[in-house]
Amino acid sequence: MSAPEQCRIIFRHIDEPGYSNDLACYVRHGGYEILKKSVAMKPEAIVDEVKKSGLRGRGGAGFGCGLKWSLLDRKSGKPVYLIVNADESEPGTFKDRYIIHQDPHQLLEGIMITCFANNVKLAYIYIRGEFPHGARILEKAIAEARAANFVGPNILGTAYGCEIYIHRGAGAYICGEETGLIESLEGKRPNPRIKPPYFPAVLGLYQCPTIVNNVETLCHVKHIADMGGEAFSKIGTPGNTGTRILCVSGHVQHPGYYEFEVGKITMGQLLNDVCGGPLPGRKFKAVIPGGSSAKILKFGERFKGKRKVGAEMVDYDWGVEDVPMDFDSLGMIGTMGGSGGVIVMDDSVNMVEALANINAFYAHESCGQCTPCREGSLWMKKITSRMVHGTARTEDAALLKSVADQIPGRTICAFGEACSWPTQSFLAKFGDEFKQYPETKKAAKPAGALELV
Amino acid sequence: MPSNPSPVMNQVSLTINGQSVVAAAGTSLLNAAKAAGIDLPHLCYDPRVEAIGSCRLCGVKVEGMRGIVSGCAQTVAAGMKVITEDAELARQRKHTLELLLSDHCSTCMGCDKSGACRLQDYAYRYGADQNRFGVVLAKPPARNFTTLNKGILFAADKCIRCGLCVKYCETVQMAEALTFSKRGSQMVVTTPLDENLHETSCEACGGCIRVCPVGAMLDKAAVGKGRESDLTRVKTICPYCGVGCQMDLLVDKQRNRIVRATSSPDAPINGGNLCVKGHFGFDYVNSPERLTHPLIRTADGFRQATWEEAIGFVGRRLREIRDQHGPDALAFVSSARCPNEENYLVQKLARTAGATNNVDNCATSCHAPTVAGLAAAFGSGAMTNSVGEIKDCAVMFLIGANPTEAHPIIGLEMKRALRRGAKLIVCDPRKTWLAQRAHIHIQHRPGSDNMLLNAILRCILDEGLADQEFIANRCEGFKEFERNLQGIAVEAAAEYCGVEAELIRAAARLYALGKPSAIYYTLGITEHSCGTDNVKNVANLAMLTGQIGKWASGVNPLRGQNNVQGACDMGAMANKLPGYQDWSDPVVRAKFEKAWGVSLPQNKGSKVPLFITAAGRGELKALYIVGEDLVATEPNQTKVIEDLSKLELLVCQEIFMSETAKLAHVIFPSACWAEKDGTFSASERRMQLIRKAVEPPGEAKADWEILCLVSTAMGYPMQYQNPSQIFDEMVSLAPIFGGMSHQRIGDRGLQWPCPTPEHPGTPFLHNGKFTRGKGKFHAITFHPQKEEPCAEYPLILSTGRTLYNYNCGNMTRKAAVINQRDPGNFVEIHPDTAARYGIRRDEKIVVRTRRGKVTGRAVVGDRVRPDIIWMPFHFAEEPTNNITNDVFDPVTATAEYKCCAAQLEKL
Amino acid sequence: MNLKLETLTKIDEVITHYPEKRSATLPLLHLIQEDVGCIREEAIEWIAQKLGLQPINVYEVVTFYPMFRRQPIGRRHIKVCRTLSCALMGGYKTCETFEQEFNTRAGPTEVSPDGEVTVEFVECLASCGTAPVVLIDDELHQKVDCAKAKQLAAQIKAEAKK
Repeated sequence: MSAPEQCRIIFRHIDEPGYSNDLACYVRHGGYEILKKSVAMKPEAIVDEVKKSGLRGRGGAGFGCGLKWSLLDRKSGKPVYLIVNADESEPGTFKDRYIIHQDPHQLLEGIMITCFANNVKLAYIYIRGEFPHGARILEKAIAEARAANFVGPNILGTAYGCEIYIHRGAGAYICGEETGLIESLEGKRPNPRIKPPYFPAVLGLYQCPTIVNNVETLCHVKHIADMGGEAFSKIGTPGNTGTRILCVSGHVQHPGYYEFEVGKITMGQLLNDVCGGPLPGRKFKAVIPGGSSAKILKFGERFKGKRKVGAEMVDYDWGVEDVPMDFDSLGMIGTMGGSGGVIVMDDSVNMVEALANINAFYAHESCGQCTPCREGSLWMKKITSRMVHGTARTEDAALLKSVADQIPGRTICAFGEACSWPTQSFLAKFGDEFKQYPETKKAAKPAGALELV
Repeated sequence: MPSNPSPVMNQVSLTINGQSVVAAAGTSLLNAAKAAGIDLPHLCYDPRVEAIGSCRLCGVKVEGMRGIVSGCAQTVAAGMKVITEDAELARQRKHTLELLLSDHCSTCMGCDKSGACRLQDYAYRYGADQNRFGVVLAKPPARNFTTLNKGILFAADKCIRCGLCVKYCETVQMAEALTFSKRGSQMVVTTPLDENLHETSCEACGGCIRVCPVGAMLDKAAVGKGRESDLTRVKTICPYCGVGCQMDLLVDKQRNRIVRATSSPDAPINGGNLCVKGHFGFDYVNSPERLTHPLIRTADGFRQATWEEAIGFVGRRLREIRDQHGPDALAFVSSARCPNEENYLVQKLARTAGATNNVDNCATSCHAPTVAGLAAAFGSGAMTNSVGEIKDCAVMFLIGANPTEAHPIIGLEMKRALRRGAKLIVCDPRKTWLAQRAHIHIQHRPGSDNMLLNAILRCILDEGLADQEFIANRCEGFKEFERNLQGIAVEAAAEYCGVEAELIRAAARLYALGKPSAIYYTLGITEHSCGTDNVKNVANLAMLTGQIGKWASGVNPLRGQNNVQGACDMGAMANKLPGYQDWSDPVVRAKFEKAWGVSLPQNKGSKVPLFITAAGRGELKALYIVGEDLVATEPNQTKVIEDLSKLELLVCQEIFMSETAKLAHVIFPSACWAEKDGTFSASERRMQLIRKAVEPPGEAKADWEILCLVSTAMGYPMQYQNPSQIFDEMVSLAPIFGGMSHQRIGDRGLQWPCPTPEHPGTPFLHNGKFTRGKGKFHAITFHPQKEEPCAEYPLILSTGRTLYNYNCGNMTRKAAVINQRDPGNFVEIHPDTAARYGIRRDEKIVVRTRRGKVTGRAVVGDRVRPDIIWMPFHFAEEPTNNITNDVFDPVTATAEYKCCAAQLEKL
Repeated sequence: MNLKLETLTKIDEVITHYPEKRSATLPLLHLIQEDVGCIREEAIEWIAQKLGLQPINVYEVVTFYPMFRRQPIGRRHIKVCRTLSCALMGGYKTCETFEQEFNTRAGPTEVSPDGEVTVEFVECLASCGTAPVVLIDDELHQKVDCAKAKQLAAQIKAEAKK
């Protein structure tokens, strides 16, 4: 079965010739009409539509967006803040960049609708420091929108007003974590906060109730407000509604970003039909389906079990190529949809070296606050690094596993999971390669193999 | 009288490891388990600091909750089922410990912390292998921010980066001297810009050392001087200000040395917090300058004498002077540094063997106006609330108080209240730490307190903020008080005080409407020639608004010395017998006469400054001083020396050759605070035990032993086995202490009134009824200070305490840490004033008043107003009290230390 | 601190974006680094004063983020992405090429002998689909293989001569 057509909702105008990121172009294409419609609605009604839509957060965890909003402490009398998480930093993910660069007003419209729905008067876009150009584009877009009365006081002649400001990060993956991001925005070291008691919905920015949503998620809100929650929920598959932007990188013919209805495309269709298959003369070896922290999948392995289709439970028996690219299916086979970053590795890649590359990233990005992560990510890096650069010892594979196994669930924030899942899954799927690595290392590298650490 | 309960928390029941546990709502699982005797391993939790959650050792399993739950962060809930130990948790903890050890220089055999190190304990408990991942210890840089520090040593290679020291410094002490720099595995504890710790905002409180769970933060001077198991822990009370911090001295019994000091989080008042003086200020105990033998004056100095000779001489001379010249020829000065038992004995000695009411203590120079003023208004002169209530204040009203320096642990509680959202009003001519963070800072000119208070009272009346019901039911004298305020105009008062009228109004509103509000004041109120009036007006403010007699609401004088409260409690003053009983009350007199077997003296008795002037006039012949340095602490030093030199007999019980002792005829060497048992009364009326830690040097004796010998030699035999016996005699005569004993006081202390052995003690006073029945309003007329600025002396000089030093400095200035931070006298000058005189920062300058001159280093900054200068009085070589004004409050003879006219000169 | 008027104006503006001034720490660090090239002690003290903070509050933040530097670097800042997707497409070779071209080593504080560039091997730049990517100052360059790296290096050298 060949791949379905892309369903470009959010990326509708990305790379469209003649489409520019200024307000005039956006308005020509019907921009801010949905905001106009929304401010005439009751805020609660918009929240209801988002709940009905079944929209799940696109940042990584796939948490229900409507549910997240409904957890907000609205009785405290304190202001409610929205923080737009544009700290896109999960390796393998590069969707927000294009929204910000090419269609910033789409994001702003989504933000304003979200703010109106949740009575937010002040929103921040936390954009990663490595997007200086993106930050400037957003600044300009906000200024345009403010001048046109889409942002700022009394928008569109209503009593409602909301400001949006840009806040630039400075090179810290941990700021993608909600509470680390909040600390960073408060001007402190971005150490994630301990939960309880610091759930952002209750004690977020400045100890006020706060929503933190991903860029892609907020763009979806605009389209939900447009088409209604019910219509949106019909896109994609039940429980995995809407579209998903899949970012493919690594060893495929056509890496890039593709927007599909969630769950309507399989990994095989994506990599072979959409991305043109492996590079000439190579074979797919492994793929990380949802950003570098997602557990790796090995081509050739099979996944069997029962899953719910409609009201029924049906058997499934999938190869990697057969897995539908949705939150639940990827979850069922032990990995995750995460941030939608698909990293493909072919048979030229040595998995020990690939893991050493990933471990160096996580050791560099650990905030250092809690023991298992600070010391554990360091040791995972040190052990894989000494495998590659020093004397690889056969027992190191077991040692590495024991380090990785003791991190998830023990840390203050989800970075613990993010940093240990690669090691756990690489060892589980490619254990032999780790055991044989002392021998592999002695042999010459295969032709075309690149240095990874 | 019922005890006054604090707000009660809801209790919830849960099970921990199958054991039923009841805990207050809001308690963490870790603490609930601890209370049930279950020790959850933890490195980054300390009761003094908000949960950090970084070490990840205290994880537990909770039925129905996903994964591992943080014991320090998760609070109890009804019906919770918690498992704190099983094979899986043990495995995880072992692993986490191994990770910590992999980055920890585990040379336990060379570490002071060995035996008291939680990392070591847990590594043993869970069988952690130090080198499981390989050995790759990076050597830390040889130099760090403590390399030049006299007190604190940071051993970076032992740091487990739990964050306790950083969090303590940031959120408890709020000194913001420590932080982490870098991130991940590179993260390291450091100071701002990595500069030397003693050059940062560090206040040397030692908190980083006390909370460090491993041996990364250490007492530098104690390194190599003994591990926990080599030392004996002695629980006692800090010998400095009147807060009453409980501390543990770690003592090398063999070498008879205090090695270091610390404090446990369950300490009743201070909760394990100490200030620089408490943590580092014990060096004086071991000082080579300690007096070791009795000394008798010779023509050209002193000679060593035997106890027998010295006691015999003093006994005989006192007897002779008493018999020849009568009761007003001799006087006794008791010591606010000494325990209650010894203060009791001094006044007993005066009133029995001495046959005189001439007994006083240093409260006269500090808080006598409190004792007089609050007794007149409420019936008793002490803090009406407890330190533990401060955190529950909605509004704190500080006037003439600088607690973060003078009463640092009370300052710490105020910082805690601020963090919990309390509002703060500070009336102070200086921009103190708290004033800078106050919601309202009224920087009025020194000496204008009553003008200011009257204006505030006026505003409260004008705006209908007075608590009419409270006034009608609980108070008297309101009409006259109200009439007296009729002439007050807020605008005019504001102009005199040099502040905005609107600020006064805002303060009046904030205080009156606080739920609840409490007043805290110190010597800025009392050390004036109108000190007693000031105190009475403070009392008026509380009564007018009904802000007294409740939890976290009342009037709180913060006492300046460790046992100045006790010296007053014990009746070491002319007009009161122990327990504030009136010496003129015939029933009381009869009780004491029966117990002591003497007729009580009839003379009215006098006060310290008047003893001195009487000596100058030749009327006072003999003065017996226990542990006070009047030359250093009384105003107009030259005159004091002149007067004291005229005495026929001056006897000092001292630990050092003080400025006063130099004038003595006989000096008895005393045991210091660490060398004897007894009790101190803290500011909050809590009596607490002090315990002997080391033997006194040479032949020095405890003051109570010396007093017994002197009394016996004077013909009135006194014999006690120990201080506890003295205490028992005292409580049998003083009903407000009637229920107390050393045994009952124990480690928690007891707050008076405590009349019966069943009485739990009294956290706050005047609940439902004032001690004197009705609270009494006083009509206060403003009187300006005695010495106004003039052309020749255009500035106002005010004096006070620094954080680091204490009184005459003879205890604190022996400590290296303190000398590093506060080495000598200084003068705070406003930049405008400095510019006018052409004075540069750190330049040595001269301050002159009508009484003389003194030098100090110029500290130029806007802590003071342009019209005032401020100096501490701790430095004997540059004695500020040489130039302070010896004019006195007419009621209490308290000197006007807080303002006199002064002039600046270049050296 | 000698800041451009434009920077000062921006600083005053950005502070108004936040209900609590401390939040402006990161924006101020960016603005000052863009103006004067790095964050020296005086900048830390200046920011603290400006925002009513202690220098420690700024210092602990500066040292956390790799984008802030405490000393000046080369005139051009070449950041080569090191992370997996770029490494899979030759990121290490790209970095090596820049090192060779400018006779320097990759490192946040290294400066090429001619003072022209600082080459830094950084973590993910979020353009994995066009790997390997390089950020030169504020400009992203995509699919930078060795040949393109040489070309970019030549361009930088040429611009330096002007």
